[in-house]
Amino acid sequence: MRRLALLLLLPLAAAAEPATLIRASDLKEAPATDAPTLASLPENAAVEALERKGGWTRVRAADGEGWVRMLALRFASSGNAKQGDSGIAQVVNVARTGTSGTQVTTGVRGLDAEQLANARPNPAELAKMESLATDRAGAEAFAAQGKLAPARVEYPKP
Amino acid sequence: MRSALFLAMLALVLPAQAQFRLPNIDVNRLVDTVKNVGRATQEIAEPEEIPIGRDVAARLLGAAPLVPDMALQRYVNHVGRWLAAQTERPDLPWQFGVLDAPQLNAFAVPGGTVFITRGLLERMQSEAELAGVLAHEIAHVLRKHHLTAIQKGARAALAGEALNVALADRGGAARERLIAFGTEMYSRGLDKADELEADRLGVVIAARAGYDAYGLPAVLQRLQAVNPEDSAVALMFRTHPAPSERLGALEAMQATLDAHAGRPQLAERFKAQMRR
Repeated sequence: MRRLALLLLLPLAAAAEPATLIRASDLKEAPATDAPTLASLPENAAVEALERKGGWTRVRAADGEGWVRMLALRFASSGNAKQGDSGIAQVVNVARTGTSGTQVTTGVRGLDAEQLANARPNPAELAKMESLATDRAGAEAFAAQGKLAPARVEYPKP
Repeated sequence: MRSALFLAMLALVLPAQAQFRLPNIDVNRLVDTVKNVGRATQEIAEPEEIPIGRDVAARLLGAAPLVPDMALQRYVNHVGRWLAAQTERPDLPWQFGVLDAPQLNAFAVPGGTVFITRGLLERMQSEAELAGVLAHEIAHVLRKHHLTAIQKGARAALAGEALNVALADRGGAARERLIAFGTEMYSRGLDKADELEADRLGVVIAARAGYDAYGLPAVLQRLQAVNPEDSAVALMFRTHPAPSERLGALEAMQATLDAHAGRPQLAERFKAQMRR
């Protein structure tokens, strides 16, 4: 788990993500609507996304660094050579399957359409899952530990 | 109903001998089946929803078992149970599991079971992001999106046998077909409107639980950066609207998102779990 997690997280943490603006946007000095405007960026402007704070993302644009609305950004899809197929993960999965000893003959397990169609019930795993569930009191203690304060928020009108 | 009555009367007037000569026909069963066809459009109630969900969950666990990290599984259960406690179905037997699969996906199962894959979890960077995705799945359970889809498809899946037979007889062939159908639902996907609704409600549920409401949009933005040709996202992309479209639709939630943007993301608590 640990090695694989690092493998996948590293490319995300390491570099700025190339992104484009889906509409003309103000480049703000700080992550707030009333912050001073540094520049006006046109629709489709190419930027590099650096970090997110609430609904704002700090970007590096041709006119310097500043903040734009997070929802106005679309990341460039990582094509071709950049990351390749998570087939790396698939290979690891084969190895894991081999050593777990439970379903060796099926090869790569996982959650593709074919595997869903051919899945047989696994009541032992279901029982294990039920034993790991927590009750409301346990969840409340966990929330308090993280200083999560519940708020009243209405569902949107349909 | 009329044909059920007819069969019942037939059963009464048939001489016992005739029934012995046709040992393969169980007249009572036949009457039940005919009676129940008319009820197949009834709503599946909660006492039936929960065991259906358990049977479907057992199948999904047959496709991919749990990640063998009990502390991680408990952590995800705490986040999920806290979110569920903020909803109109707080007392379902909620349970959350991380499936040991490299694909990026998450699944809501009727009755309160939610799965997320190891592949998706490893792409996340904070507890608020995890909360956003779990809240989306919880919304599917609240609005019974999969249950309704199973019910709509039940007639075809059961090939003439009644839904009620499948509901009542957990070991029977009709049940088997219903559960197989319910499991394959996850490779067919729901209506786009159901997915977009779950996104909107997910944002609200995460905000109610006190998280930075931008967790779900942040995950969608990261998914949008994944190469769609990557086999790890093939199933999820086929069964959901494109991440870009989902982000666009969430602009309708801008006011809620911004009102709850400064709340905890709990990146450190999340990373501590993932590092172990």
